[in-house]
Amino acid sequence: MSDSPDVHAVEIRGASMVFNDGGKGRVAALDDVDLAVRAAEFVSLIGPSGCGKSTLLRLIANLLEPTAGDVRVNGKPAEQARLDQDYGMAFQKSGLFEWRTVAKNIELPLELKGWDKRRRAERAQEMLELVKLPDRGEHRPWELSGGQQQRIAIARALASHPPLLLMDEPFGALDEMTREHMQSELLQICAATNTTVVFVTHSIPEAVYLSDRVVVMSAGPGRITDTIDVDLGRNRDDDTREEDHFYQKITEVREALRGLEVSAGARGIEDR
Amino acid sequence: MSAGASKRGGLAGRAVKRAALLLAALGLAAVAWEVYKAIGPEQGGDILGWRIIPKTNDRVMPHVWEMLAEFGDPAIGSGDQLVWQVLLGYAWYTLRMALAGFAFGAAIGIVLAVLMTRLRIVERGLLPYLVISQTIPLIALAPQVTVIRGSLDLPQWTSAAALAAFLSFFPITVSTLRGLKAAPAESLELMNSYAAGWWTTLFKLRFPSALPHMIPGLKLAATASVIGVIVTEITLGGLRGVGFATIDYSQKVTSQPASVYAAVFAAAALGLIMFGLVVASEALLMRHRPREAT
Repeated sequence: MSDSPDVHAVEIRGASMVFNDGGKGRVAALDDVDLAVRAAEFVSLIGPSGCGKSTLLRLIANLLEPTAGDVRVNGKPAEQARLDQDYGMAFQKSGLFEWRTVAKNIELPLELKGWDKRRRAERAQEMLELVKLPDRGEHRPWELSGGQQQRIAIARALASHPPLLLMDEPFGALDEMTREHMQSELLQICAATNTTVVFVTHSIPEAVYLSDRVVVMSAGPGRITDTIDVDLGRNRDDDTREEDHFYQKITEVREALRGLEVSAGARGIEDR
Repeated sequence: MSAGASKRGGLAGRAVKRAALLLAALGLAAVAWEVYKAIGPEQGGDILGWRIIPKTNDRVMPHVWEMLAEFGDPAIGSGDQLVWQVLLGYAWYTLRMALAGFAFGAAIGIVLAVLMTRLRIVERGLLPYLVISQTIPLIALAPQVTVIRGSLDLPQWTSAAALAAFLSFFPITVSTLRGLKAAPAESLELMNSYAAGWWTTLFKLRFPSALPHMIPGLKLAATASVIGVIVTEITLGGLRGVGFATIDYSQKVTSQPASVYAAVFAAAALGLIMFGLVVASEALLMRHRPREAT
């Protein structure tokens, strides 16, 4: 937005990802993908199962190396960005360590960065307040509800104040009520921390509600087929979900996906 | 937190209940023994021509109270000490060797598991040999171990500890290997996203998530280490522990038929003590884990 146009939070050029190349089970997960995400932008990746959206997220995270193409995060090569812990990550499973207290879970990335104990504890408390669970620090993760665990996972992902948050269907395992609540919380957290987000989801309303931009992908091989700007403004709340414009955008995304369905036989898209 | 306190109360309650059940089971076994002794055929019996019904005379099946009374009898050839005092001394001697063997076996087992996790090639090359090693009878190994021990000028008890370690390392290797691979994929990705190195991931993630898998292996190893020491005592001689006592007492079976059982009880008690040590460590290490993880 206000940043200089040449330093994007994420910049992917011509990225391809082939698994088992040359082998029998060769899979072209991604083919020649370009994507640029501006700082503080919220971008969702949506598409049928196998369209490579999780693979794309893992290329940004440098958990996978692309077979071709270039991935830059914060103006650096993706690997350098990972080594610098320039992003936080949250998955569908909260992945909290059950042997650690909630506070110690949030402290994990700080511990690995070599922060001292006092500073870690202060930051953990700050994060607990950010996700509105200020008095749960000494609890064990398994004593919390699924939604609370997911909030702790987000707190952990943001603990070192990374400029970028990568999320792989983080609310996929939650019930609808909790899910909507968590979406609103996430928007507030991102606004408060000015974090850029790349968000993988199966849910059209979720993508529309959260995003500045919805990136629609198709499978076989994984490609970006459409990008839909969601101009619902920055201050979204539960009323936004009732607006006509919200429904128009949902329809727009759905039609973009339906176009795929006709051509490729899309699976796994939630229409709720 | 009150929830934690009440759960600990529940755990203590469960422990009491378990102990009571164990005693009740022992009591039942004693009653069954005595009932069979009372009604069974004095000279044993045949089923389909096989002599499998045991004799019930006092030499083969002494009364339970005679076995227990045996502990209070003076021990032959041990001055004015009673049998239980002598056996306690033997048991302590055996327990120390078993503990040494268990510790040694655990160290080897864990190091091997880490190596195999780190290098797939080590796993592929080594694991089959480890499996084969466990098919060698302990008695066949004992003389070789003694020769090696002698050449290294180590004290005699190290033979028993080495063979105890030989029996106990294997379950620990297998269970630790399984456990180290049990870390969930998303947790491994998470550590990777933090740019955490292999060793950091080992200690912060892999070992803590391996613990629930390691505990059954440690339990097997604990009792195996006692067996290792007792078999060594019986095979090699010179080590005066519970294994020695079983041989020594079995030679008096005509005059004191119940004394053999006294030694057997002592051996069983040792196994239980080792097992109990692992259970106690488990309770300590797993106290903050959810119940279903144990």
